[in-house]
Amino acid sequence: MLPQVIAGGLSAGSIYALVALALVITYKTTGVPNFAQGEMAMVSAFVAYVLMTDFQTGFFVAFTVALVFAFILGVGFEAVILRRVRNPSHLNLLVVTLGFQLALFGLAGWKWGAEQRQFPFPVSPNEALRIGDVSISTLGVATISISVVLMVGVFAFFRFTKLGVAMQATQQDSMAARINGVPTRRVVGLTFGMSSVIGAVAALLMAPLITLDTTLMWDPLLKGFAAAVLGGLNAPVGAVLGGYLLGLIENLFGAYVSVEVKSAVAFLIIILVLCFRPSGLFARHHKRKV
Amino acid sequence: MRSTQDYYADVQLLRGRGAWIKLAILLVVLIVLPLVLPGYRIFTVNYMAIFVIVGLGMNILVGDTGQVSLGHAGFLAIGAYTTVLMMTELSAPFPLALLVGGVVTAGFGFLLGLPALRLQGPYLAIVTLGFGIAVTQIIGHSAFFGGHMGLVVPDATLGPIPLSGDISQYYVIVGTTLVLALCARNLSVTRVGRAFRAIRDSEIAAATMGVDVAYYKTLSFALSAAFAGIAGGLLALMTGFISPGVFTFLLSLMFLAMVVFGGLGSIPGAVLGSIVMGYLNLEMDAFEELPLLGPALESFSARFMSTAGLPNVGWVVTGLLIVFTILLEPRGLHGVWIRVGAFIGGRRRDTDAPVGASAGSGAGSGAGPGGPGADSSDPPAGAS
Amino acid sequence: MAFFSVEGLTMRFGGLTALDDVSFEVERATIFSVIGPNGSGKSTAFNCISGIHRPTAGNVHFDGERISGLGCHHIARRGIARTFQNIELFGNESTIDNLMLGRHQHMTTGVWRGIFMVNGRSEAARDECENRERVQHILELLDLDGVRERPVRELPYGTQKRVELARALAMEPKLLLVDEPSAGMNAQERTDLGERLRKLRADLGLTILLIEHHLQLAMGLADRVLVLNFGKAIAQGTPEEVRRHPEVIKAYLGDG
Repeated sequence: MLPQVIAGGLSAGSIYALVALALVITYKTTGVPNFAQGEMAMVSAFVAYVLMTDFQTGFFVAFTVALVFAFILGVGFEAVILRRVRNPSHLNLLVVTLGFQLALFGLAGWKWGAEQRQFPFPVSPNEALRIGDVSISTLGVATISISVVLMVGVFAFFRFTKLGVAMQATQQDSMAARINGVPTRRVVGLTFGMSSVIGAVAALLMAPLITLDTTLMWDPLLKGFAAAVLGGLNAPVGAVLGGYLLGLIENLFGAYVSVEVKSAVAFLIIILVLCFRPSGLFARHHKRKV
Repeated sequence: MRSTQDYYADVQLLRGRGAWIKLAILLVVLIVLPLVLPGYRIFTVNYMAIFVIVGLGMNILVGDTGQVSLGHAGFLAIGAYTTVLMMTELSAPFPLALLVGGVVTAGFGFLLGLPALRLQGPYLAIVTLGFGIAVTQIIGHSAFFGGHMGLVVPDATLGPIPLSGDISQYYVIVGTTLVLALCARNLSVTRVGRAFRAIRDSEIAAATMGVDVAYYKTLSFALSAAFAGIAGGLLALMTGFISPGVFTFLLSLMFLAMVVFGGLGSIPGAVLGSIVMGYLNLEMDAFEELPLLGPALESFSARFMSTAGLPNVGWVVTGLLIVFTILLEPRGLHGVWIRVGAFIGGRRRDTDAPVGASAGSGAGSGAGPGGPGADSSDPPAGAS
Repeated sequence: MAFFSVEGLTMRFGGLTALDDVSFEVERATIFSVIGPNGSGKSTAFNCISGIHRPTAGNVHFDGERISGLGCHHIARRGIARTFQNIELFGNESTIDNLMLGRHQHMTTGVWRGIFMVNGRSEAARDECENRERVQHILELLDLDGVRERPVRELPYGTQKRVELARALAMEPKLLLVDEPSAGMNAQERTDLGERLRKLRADLGLTILLIEHHLQLAMGLADRVLVLNFGKAIAQGTPEEVRRHPEVIKAYLGDG
């Protein structure tokens, strides 16, 4: 039983880690968590769904188009809405992302209604791999693998490509970056595009698991947010680790204690951690100079 | 040299005969309203009043003290369930149950305020978010609270008067709203309200002025929660039935949205914003019935969207309202009001107009019509 | 024991030592200037004294009581007020409300009395009126009556600095910490400021700790001076003594 629980935890943790990573990337740039991210990802998943069911496209084509859509949505949101906030205090930016989230949620609900749909995926959630005398869900394995590959790719991108380094520079000190010739406005837009794509991958991995409806990303967004906070909002590695930690704790608690309140327990743990480390486990605490 | 009367004018609610007349008109309208409205419309007004109460509380926490809460639906739930359980388990009369509901919720508010002392913006947001969700989860999974099925609210009375009809409930709910609005307003213009706003504007300076920041932050949470708790008890009274499905994250979002839309830090703004959002939230299922717009929406939905999903337009509207508010006038409806006032005030240089905070809003939330530009007695500074 | 004394004050932030074993004494009703190049730790010293930072080591004594380690608001209630280098006004509030916040510790209205302010005779109303009356003369003294109800973020920079000073005075402090009050002022304003501070010492018996970059103002006003450099106290004494001190000359002008 334990290996399955752990595998389940890692699988759920992968999704939380992806969401957390997406959150942290944009948080570092704007100082504000992008609440709209969940719904942006959900809409992208619906785009893939519509392509596959109404237009009979293959999975991989639909997947790719959905990611492109997600990218454009992310860049568009930043350019059209976020950048134009005239008094960009943290509260204002936060509220704008909340507003966009609500609007997207409403639009998706209006267009597609509340019915739950089966999301076509090359791997069925019912298949299982046998390793020894343990059977682990194939979908879970796929989720973990895809997530890990993506995250490694993202970290490599940040480390080794010119654009990635530019993004990091902008995140740390946009003024200094701009002085050094980094096109910060474009970089910020691209950051949002990238974050949206990562979120969309999480949604596309989530959809076959729990069926597709407009509330698809609510739980993952919350958990991803909690994971990012747990790991530290300005530490991408910490956020990813936080995601896996959260997934494991949740699943272990659910398997051995009680399934029903496992989300509440997750939040309780977060609150406890924050009591002792107010900026997360891995982050550094900043204080303002007077 | 100013007289004592001038000083009191700074904080006085009703200044001059005009104010008393306006108050009288307002009271007459409110008293007569339920007698002329059809039944279901009274329900609508009651619902909006409950939103107003929550909005007043949110304004204290978010508008005045500058904190963030994404979990206020949780406080609404605690108030509702406490009130109902007081009545069912302890046979408490409704007024007492409501009061206890408010106090218990205040206690939870205080508890939620404790993390706020150490956590910055987004961290606080996630904690409040988690709180709201945890509350509904725990309620939903516990037989004592009726689980997912919820609880039926027993018949309530105010002394000998039964509170079973819309009209009697109206007087209780709207009456409570008025009283709470007055409380919020008084608090806002006196020492406690000023301390809240000091914390919002500069926590460090507030501390060096002698403000016990920890005390006032937790107090702000407790008060804000108390308002929501009372609103919850009244909601239970109105709807006759409570279940965890009512107190969602979306509702918490709406609570935040309405004070932002109305204008943070402004009581009239919070009231107006709450009225609008409360109406929107309630009428979401009935958009087809709007005159003119309804059928247009319906046919549009049938062609491009789905008719079953039409109620979601409410969320679209709410979301867009928030986005446009932040983009165009971050100070919300109150900000629009100030601009209109400045526009009019700039047109007529009225030297008789009192230079001071507009009646009903917290002192210092922006000069009313006739204020800006009226004095320019500063010597030019050396460097600005 | 002196009215106000700092002994061995040390403040370390991680690897950075902002203050290193600084000691000085201030007598009642005197003006004490703290000068030194940028980054020498002057504002950090103020932050330690007013309780924003907890000193890594050392003690601060005020009026016979040890205040180092107390919280900000406790120190404020002992009678210490301050202004800030970068203005920390309550920007959305009016001038009068900023000053009324200075009265916070002297007022008694809590939640209940605040809510039940039903008429002009209620406790809360009397509290408000009494304290508004008390700050009125401060408003007039600093020429701020004309902007009484204006939100302070709309005010010009120089006016804002006056409001900060007024707010600190509204606290009726025994010790006033003034951090670079003349920044951004022209010569006339500086003279006025100097006069104002002298009057406060003379009329109110106020003890003033002054951080000031403008040497003429700092030296001209001070009864005693402390010179900091890289967090260390390199000289202390009367303005004349300090002016001639070789370490001070070296710090400001460099070697050779």
